[in-house]
Amino acid sequence: MVIIRPPLTKILSLVTLMVAMNLASNYVMIGIPNIKIMDLLVFISGYLMGALPGIMVGVLTWVVYGTINPYGFHPVIFVATCLGEGFYGFIGWFSRRVGSGSDIFLASISKRQLLWLNFKFGVIGFLATFVYYLFTNIVSALIFGLPPIMGVITGAYFSIVHEVSNFFFFFFGCSIIVKVIKKLIYVGGEEK
Amino acid sequence: MIHKKNIWVWISLGLLCLLIVSLYMAATYYSEGERYKRLYEQYKSLYEKIVEEYENIMARMIKVNVLIDYGNGTSEYHNEILVQRDSTLFEVMKRIAKIDYITSEYGVFITHINGVGGETGKYWLWYFLNVTSGEWEMLWESCDKHIMQDGETVAWNYTASWG
Repeated sequence: MVIIRPPLTKILSLVTLMVAMNLASNYVMIGIPNIKIMDLLVFISGYLMGALPGIMVGVLTWVVYGTINPYGFHPVIFVATCLGEGFYGFIGWFSRRVGSGSDIFLASISKRQLLWLNFKFGVIGFLATFVYYLFTNIVSALIFGLPPIMGVITGAYFSIVHEVSNFFFFFFGCSIIVKVIKKLIYVGGEEK
Repeated sequence: MIHKKNIWVWISLGLLCLLIVSLYMAATYYSEGERYKRLYEQYKSLYEKIVEEYENIMARMIKVNVLIDYGNGTSEYHNEILVQRDSTLFEVMKRIAKIDYITSEYGVFITHINGVGGETGKYWLWYFLNVTSGEWEMLWESCDKHIMQDGETVAWNYTASWG
């Protein structure tokens, strides 16, 4: 699949826009721990704009959200979450690179195709969250001097909540938001 | 064929997600189970300590019964009052009623119980129940000298008669 990149200025403004959307949604949903649409938006950024912009959206969001956060700040966890969030952007880029969900760019798509497409996005969201949690839980466990497996076990409940919620966010939200943002990026028909 | 293969890859990935959820749920229930086990052990030992302490306290306590007859047809029963072993009748009375008293060389003499008393020629006298004979008997000692026994029954009577 040939991916034509949008102009750099558009990418930069979209990165800013996505970071702003992430921060706004994160602070709105701060009372619901582990349920955020941020991961989906970072994934979509990587999916539409490429690996680096996707990673930038993830990292920049956490630079703000990780430092101005009522739950506190820990430098090592901060770095881990920045990297982990950037991973969603990378996965977004990688998914498009390997052609996952390429049906989304078809002019017309059947309901069955759409359902299948959404399922694939849901699975990607789930697995990316699994990796993200595995990474952050192990880092947290090491910080607090616990064996890594303890970090995974103690964080299991939060992992399930985050993974399942992300499955549904990706399932219901990914294809729609990709289509909307794609229109914003490619006004003028740069991509056929 | 390629498409079919692709489907099975995604279905496998979906099943992998379910497997991860199952594993995490197992881990969650395991850690919760361990937590509740620890809590159970903590509360069990706490309960045992409380029971032991309760038994220690009960070993130092006795139960006594007190009847107060106001002499006007009104009586008051205080059954199975828990008091410390070696308590005197005077201490028991201070616990169960509002009393006025005078002290003399013979000991404490109660003049009023719950506001009743002080009439000329009438006194508050006390009797103990002889469990063998089933009769009320008088002891010629003041209430602050009388050490209560476990299960003992005592009656206070506001009367003009000394018999």
